[in-house]
Amino acid sequence: MILAADYSILFQTIILVFSSGLANSLIFGRSTVARIASFAPAIAGSLLLVIFAVLVSISGSKVQISDPFVATIPALAINLYVDGMAAFFMLILGLVTFAVSIYSIGYSQQYSGKNSTRSFGFLFNLFVLSMLLVIASNSIYSFLIFWELMSLASFFLVIYDHQKELNIKSGLTYIVMTHIGTAFILASFLVFYIQTSSFSFDSFREQAPSIPQYVRDISFVLAFIGFGAKSGLVPLHIWLPQAHPSAPSNISSLMSAVMIKVAIYGLVRTTLDFGAPMTPDSAWWGVLLASGGAVSCIIGVLYAAIEKDIKKALAYSSIENAGIILLGLGMSVLFQSYSLLGLAALALLASMFHSLNHALFKSLLFMGAGAVVFRTHTKKMDQLGGLIKYMPWTALLFLIGALSISGLPPFNGFVSEWLVLQTLLSSYQLPNLALQVTISVVSVVFALTMGLALATFIRIFGITFLARPRSEAAHQAKEAPKSMIVGMSITASICVAFGIFPFIATSLVSASFGFDKQQHFLSLQTLSPFAVLGVPTSSGALTSSSMSAGTVALMMGCVGAFCAGLLFVASGRKTARKVYSTWDCGFGQLNERMQYTASSLSQPLRVVFKILYKPHNEAEVSYFTDSNRYLKKSAKVETHTRDVFNEGFYQPVVKATTLVLDTVRKMQTGKINAYLLYIMIALVAMLVLAEVTR
Amino acid sequence: MVEPTAVSLQLQIIGVVQTLGLIGIAPLITGIMRKVKARTQKRIGASIIQPYYDLAKLLKKDEVVSDQSSWIFRSAPWIMLISTITAALFVPSFLPFSPFNAAGDILVVIGLFALVRFFTMLAGIDVASAFGGLGASREMMISAIVEPALFLTIFVVSLSLGGTNLTSIASSAANQFASGVIIMPSMIFAVIAFFVIMLAETGRIPFDNPATHLELTMVHEAMVLEYSGKSLAMVQFSQSIKQVILLSLFVNFFVPVGMLTPAIGLSAASTASTALSFLAKAMLVSALVAFAETRVAKWRLFRIPDLLAVAIASSMMGVVFFYFWR
Repeated sequence: MILAADYSILFQTIILVFSSGLANSLIFGRSTVARIASFAPAIAGSLLLVIFAVLVSISGSKVQISDPFVATIPALAINLYVDGMAAFFMLILGLVTFAVSIYSIGYSQQYSGKNSTRSFGFLFNLFVLSMLLVIASNSIYSFLIFWELMSLASFFLVIYDHQKELNIKSGLTYIVMTHIGTAFILASFLVFYIQTSSFSFDSFREQAPSIPQYVRDISFVLAFIGFGAKSGLVPLHIWLPQAHPSAPSNISSLMSAVMIKVAIYGLVRTTLDFGAPMTPDSAWWGVLLASGGAVSCIIGVLYAAIEKDIKKALAYSSIENAGIILLGLGMSVLFQSYSLLGLAALALLASMFHSLNHALFKSLLFMGAGAVVFRTHTKKMDQLGGLIKYMPWTALLFLIGALSISGLPPFNGFVSEWLVLQTLLSSYQLPNLALQVTISVVSVVFALTMGLALATFIRIFGITFLARPRSEAAHQAKEAPKSMIVGMSITASICVAFGIFPFIATSLVSASFGFDKQQHFLSLQTLSPFAVLGVPTSSGALTSSSMSAGTVALMMGCVGAFCAGLLFVASGRKTARKVYSTWDCGFGQLNERMQYTASSLSQPLRVVFKILYKPHNEAEVSYFTDSNRYLKKSAKVETHTRDVFNEGFYQPVVKATTLVLDTVRKMQTGKINAYLLYIMIALVAMLVLAEVTR
Repeated sequence: MVEPTAVSLQLQIIGVVQTLGLIGIAPLITGIMRKVKARTQKRIGASIIQPYYDLAKLLKKDEVVSDQSSWIFRSAPWIMLISTITAALFVPSFLPFSPFNAAGDILVVIGLFALVRFFTMLAGIDVASAFGGLGASREMMISAIVEPALFLTIFVVSLSLGGTNLTSIASSAANQFASGVIIMPSMIFAVIAFFVIMLAETGRIPFDNPATHLELTMVHEAMVLEYSGKSLAMVQFSQSIKQVILLSLFVNFFVPVGMLTPAIGLSAASTASTALSFLAKAMLVSALVAFAETRVAKWRLFRIPDLLAVAIASSMMGVVFFYFWR
């Protein structure tokens, strides 16, 4: 039997281990030892964190962390508390950090001698530690302090490669957008503070049901905007495709895989825990979340499908996946507000399982893209190609990530998307016609997203790893260092394991969120790989719609053996296989410029969805003589797509703001006596105001 | 709590036999479609069992593999064949049930088809020719837009017939038909959408032309252009199986005539009549598809989204009708 106090000690040990990583990176210089010294504590700490999170989830305990050091400074009022919900997100953080830290040992060697490796290790550990403490926070103070620390650490990591001007620009967009988000989060918490006159989350939890609905509505909308901005909710996503690709790839992994989940955690905490959506009055929260999620899904994937920069495409795909998670969360709130508790649990399971899956495959994909950039020094897919021959392991692991994120059996993405689809199909049990039709529209959007996600990842994998290399850099590439391969294979193997044995993840989710205590969702309690995932009805019984990923995988194996046997018998004699050049229609040598590129592959999609992309083509042809237009001297074609959100929303807003500020600036004369006059006027005005309102 | 292992061995054998029957008739259905197409075009056409000869011949031939290709190209035919046969195991065809349905519903079948598509497109890109990329880029666009149409149709079917489990869909379709409901209003819209989707998924005119090798028109053929010998046999066989799976879904969802209902019970005579009626319906629908194919011309690529939008709109109508008619 493990006591709550033991958990507390374990948690403090984890914090100490990460802190030692902070110290190590400052102490050691820039040798290989230093790299290992700054990432080894992170590896150990995250492994401990995984153990801690699983123990807390399974035992269902609620751990109050009493830190003797911090408790002596009551002004800080740092109050840490870990329940199942927090433990689940700590599991995500632990798993991803474990893989990424190992990967970072090899990855960070490219910076030695160029940038400060000291600050890299320091910021890496600080970033992870701050995310851990955000999740553990139990009061407004500590939550916001660590939230800000997390934002700042990630900001400095985004601009780590500061020699490139573009990275600075991305960093600035990021820091502005993230602070707008923080302001909304603060406002949302303050609404609760006004009602409960307490900064502690405990009192929010206890008093939530007695808070008037309209107050909770306001707080929810503020939290939705605030946490939405951090998780890449459209149209607040503008920073994400700039900041995530600008950061070093191991940081991109952490940002996309974990930081987005920290924002999701905030939203889950405020919505389900403080919001208490138990009556149909809160149903519109669910609609807002689900439709916001659906919009993010489709916009994210549409831009991912045409993006030429491999890391940017992955960042857009993170917006899509955050959308899927929000969609599931929204469905859960919707079902919960109509007291369909079994379905609410199913939807939350879908959403949380997808969070876990996205963390795994997106960190894998970013690490894979990082390995490609590490060896070829380019992020442009049009200059890559053929890497499967030079980087076979990276290619295989990236392929596993691509198959998982595309939602294909037998990988983990399929299981969570199956759950989301079943959630949407269960919407007929909602007692409201308008809601039913709305959700069916949302389902269409979600299905289109799935189709486009498949196309996106075929394109990313196909163009980057298959066919002929499109540049000398791709030709010269060689396999990534071993530590990077090991880091990627950890997440890849968990992706496969959760795809074949999803019961491991589903039972973790149901233990973390206490489904087992609700008696509504017993079907997820099984611990057998062949047990089915089912869909409950409002009465709690299971419908006939079910799926067992383990059995599907087993059947595929049997069919494979059967096909191999059959073909061996049917083909009789052994047939030869000749290797010859690709069919060139008899015209002679094909070269790498004749194959499809990233841009040409997505051309049909660009045409079909041209409203969003506003594609712009420029062709410039020069001739030897103007009289004969068949002999072309040179030809140049350029195609651009534009971001309608940037052009249609952000640029006007920025322009208007600058205009207003320019007018205000006329007051700023630079003369000190003018400023003294302003102070005088302000003082008098305040005195008058005080007199009038007395 | 249904454990697939709890299904008796006898039923599992019946399910496997049913699937073997289904994949056995797959080339026959392809042969019938080619024959019907030939006859409506005033040609005599090859015998309906020609596809079997083709497969047997291809299996015995040596193959040529592109020097640019990787293991993706070589393993893709295996993955296509394995995924389609696994999908076939979940589909009720000759019988109104499949014993494996607790483990895999219609969403699993669609997922397995998506896996086939994924590797077909990658194989097209892998050989570094312009044809492969061309096919993949067109297929990408079509399949992305087919997906919402397909899902919405499943939405209607699962609302009208209870869930995504194929056995329960088939049996409730049969029960409804037996109780005198020929077709539900929502299902009329679903049938239109599903027919369009079937044409798109199997790569038939107006989406694609399975009988062409012109770069202007081909989609699926462009992606698998480099295959030869045993690999080509596997690609073609898996394509035939996919087609016959979609036909059985169509027949079981929308034309439950002569299907065994649970009330009648499982006997040798009733099983035989159900199986025969399935075969007859499948041949009839395939002949209908082939006939429809000769009545239209191949559409321009960028008009295809319009047709798919019709399918989406039609199944959306189905959803609305379901909710209002209830």
